[in-house]
Amino acid sequence: MVPTLAAEGLVKRFGPVAAVDGVGLTVSAGEVVGLLGPNGAGKTTTLRMLAGILTPDAGGVRIGGLDIHDRPLDAKRRLGFLSGDTQLYQRLTTREVLRYFGRLYGMADPLIEARTARLVEELEMGEFANRPCGTLSSGQKQRANIARAFLHGPDLLILDEPTVALDVISGQFIVESIRRERDAGRAVLFSTHVMSEAEYLCDRILLLHRGRIIDEGVLDDLLARSGCRNLTDAFLLRVGREGSRS
Amino acid sequence: MRPRVVLEIVRKELTETLRDRRTLMLMIALPVLIYPLLMIGFSKLQVSQLEATAERTSRIAVWGAAPDGLREAIVGDGKIAIDGGIRPSDAVKNGLEQGTLTRPEVAPRSAGARPGGQGARQAAAGPPEPDNPVLEAARAAVVERRADAVLVLWPDVGPALAAAGAGSVSIYFDSVREDSLEAQSRLESALGAYRAGLVAERERAHGLVRGFALGLDVRATNVAREARRSGQILGLFLPFLLVTMSLLGGFYPAIDLTAGEKERGTMQTLLCAPVSPLEIVAGKYLAVWVTSLIAAFANVVSLGITVMRILPGDAISVSPSTLLLAFAMLLPVTLFITAVFLAVAAFAKDFKDGQNFLTPVYMLLAMPAGVTMLRGIELNAWTAFVPVVNIALLIKALLISEAAPDLIFLSLLSSTAYAAMAVMLAARVFAREQVLLGGRDSLRALLGFERQTGGTPSPAFALTAFALVLVLAFYGSLLLQSAGTMATLLVTEFGFFLAPTLLLVVGFGFSLTRTLSLRRPPLAGLVAAILIGSSAWAVVAGGLLRLLPPPESLVRALEQLLLLDGAPAPLWLVWLVIGVIPAMSEELFFRGLVLSGLRRLGMWPALLTCALLFALAHSSVYRLIPTFFIGVLLSWLVWKTGSIWTSILAHALNNGIAATLVYSKPLAAAIGAGTHAYLGWKPTLAAVVVLAAGLLVLRYVPPGVADPEKQ
Repeated sequence: MVPTLAAEGLVKRFGPVAAVDGVGLTVSAGEVVGLLGPNGAGKTTTLRMLAGILTPDAGGVRIGGLDIHDRPLDAKRRLGFLSGDTQLYQRLTTREVLRYFGRLYGMADPLIEARTARLVEELEMGEFANRPCGTLSSGQKQRANIARAFLHGPDLLILDEPTVALDVISGQFIVESIRRERDAGRAVLFSTHVMSEAEYLCDRILLLHRGRIIDEGVLDDLLARSGCRNLTDAFLLRVGREGSRS
Repeated sequence: MRPRVVLEIVRKELTETLRDRRTLMLMIALPVLIYPLLMIGFSKLQVSQLEATAERTSRIAVWGAAPDGLREAIVGDGKIAIDGGIRPSDAVKNGLEQGTLTRPEVAPRSAGARPGGQGARQAAAGPPEPDNPVLEAARAAVVERRADAVLVLWPDVGPALAAAGAGSVSIYFDSVREDSLEAQSRLESALGAYRAGLVAERERAHGLVRGFALGLDVRATNVAREARRSGQILGLFLPFLLVTMSLLGGFYPAIDLTAGEKERGTMQTLLCAPVSPLEIVAGKYLAVWVTSLIAAFANVVSLGITVMRILPGDAISVSPSTLLLAFAMLLPVTLFITAVFLAVAAFAKDFKDGQNFLTPVYMLLAMPAGVTMLRGIELNAWTAFVPVVNIALLIKALLISEAAPDLIFLSLLSSTAYAAMAVMLAARVFAREQVLLGGRDSLRALLGFERQTGGTPSPAFALTAFALVLVLAFYGSLLLQSAGTMATLLVTEFGFFLAPTLLLVVGFGFSLTRTLSLRRPPLAGLVAAILIGSSAWAVVAGGLLRLLPPPESLVRALEQLLLLDGAPAPLWLVWLVIGVIPAMSEELFFRGLVLSGLRRLGMWPALLTCALLFALAHSSVYRLIPTFFIGVLLSWLVWKTGSIWTSILAHALNNGIAATLVYSKPLAAAIGAGTHAYLGWKPTLAAVVVLAAGLLVLRYVPPGVADPEKQ
């Protein structure tokens, strides 16, 4: 079966610095893959290349078998992207934002209305869906943002630290939403600094350090290989070892 | 690019923009309030000031002995009161009474000094008087506001009048004070009336005819109609206000939609949607442009209503149609500046950065529009090519009904060309992910001007090259005007078409063969070129010119050009300079560089655009359609044959034959082209048949021969 997301040999340089240096990965339907790494490891750059926001200097990305370079619009239609610093239009309401993006994704208005109604209910947004996004709290904004990323029913969700700067309750709400999407058969790739989230959510984990994947596997394999009892220790051990090597 | 998506972006951007109070303030509230407030304020103040001045009695001092009847003449209509209490120092008083003081001589006015214009009223006072005690005393009285003016009757007045001569009288006043100016004016008319009475009495006494001492009774009448006079007043400031205010309307939206989006983190959201960068820039561009237009419209309406309803009297009036026309002229300039704003603002990281970037750009673009406030600077062939200034001057020209069609055409053409360049720049900026995500990028990479060995240019490159060559050729030919037709033609063709073409192709590493279509022509192509080249001129001369006759002046100018200023040149030289050289240079540029750049657009868009650019380059609205028609034929030749030589041949034949007919009147008469500007029906029909045959022959060019990818 064709993986929902397949990338190989991704390289991105900013001047002389290679922020991402030969990253390859796959994410299949119904799978949550976690991308972990310290600050500056290249997570955001990798995810931006996968989402078609940045063009890689080398390597390629296929979403649902479509090359994102050759057919960017078709590939992006199958993708929902969300990052911790992604914001919404301050002077539009959540409903207006959803209608706008629904139309950009080529959805018919009745479908947008139906999907919006469902997302407003699922993500408990009834109270603020008609308020301008500029007036919402961080947690409310992120829920509205998730609705925006889920609206068109994408096969693949790329989430870049979606729970950053959220309180525990809002964070957990987002995590549960991701889980629901996975159970609905979507492929999810997400990056996080919160190891407990990764342990709870991820079917597979990729460890990124200095632009390269230094380890990958299911949680138990990673723990077994490192001899640690939790992901935080395993992460610190691997990243620390790589750091001392270089 | 999908129009539906672009419209969706426009709608969203406008919704957001119109919900921004800051933009609304600048766009609508400011113009709607500012004009009435300013004008009501100023006009009310001015009216009340004028009324007060008119009502007020001027208080003057009269120093020196007044002849009989003079005091009565001055105070006669009650507007002037003589205040005997305002006295000079005893020395001055005694000097005037005893005749020891005389009026100082002043230097005669220089020949170059022009009456009228600014300071005309002050000029009435004559050249400055050297310092003297009387002047000092009068200055003190007037400046200290004891008197509005001082009338000094010098000691010679009495004796001079008695001897039927001219007595010396001086009025001292302060031009800075309105009351003093009014007093001077009233005194002058009172003295004028007194003098007229004196002269009439003398004429009578000496038995002279009436007007003996007057000589000429001069009356000056202003021929400018009221609309023109008010147009002149409005033309001073209206274009500047319209341009600056409409730009101000687009200023904040341009920052908000680019740097503002980056700062708020929403740009990334949009970039991961299935929308191309071109659609994003088109949507944002149109939104900012519409905002500018709303601002411009608000300005025009507010100003129009203020001028028509609020200003007192009929001094200034402007018709709604003129205002509408002025608004229409703002379209290309706002198109241009909106694109520049977007392209520049996209580089900013945040709103503050955006303001820092755009403020100098705004000043640089808007301030030159202030030239309309300078007298003497008008729309001409030079200013028509200066961005922003051309439109400001064009609006000014429209207000005084003086805009020539060719200058309107040139201004709109150049503005549209600048707008196209700016839009392409903006599109390039938005295609650079580095810029959109907050990073920096090299200018060379941004402009798409990196060397690309062996390729052909892009449509953007072709259009930019066209805009550059157009401006270069235009200014160059203006500079060469005094150099004679032959030199102008040669320098224009070699220097402004051929040299830039070769430099651009070689400099950017494009393939010479593919870009300039330097391939051997197929035989059928050559035959078609001969048939088309020898008949196209006749179809134009007999058909298009009959339908759209150009003005006589243009026909004469073209004939002059075709004959190389009528200099006795041999026919072969005319063919070389008018036929072969322009054909080589212009074809290599238009059907070479430009057409190969446009090739990616598909056949018809490429052919029509190339022909349109060719027509526009001829810089005359009357030559637009004929040159467009010939441009389509020449472009088609190259498209079908893949060889530039076919269009060079056809172009040279076309120009050469036209020049030969102007050169040889008997020949022209023989085919019925001698007496009219256009050709007779019979040769025209024959030409249509030959042209059709040429197009038919083109069908026999083997397919694939013109496909550059296969060679």
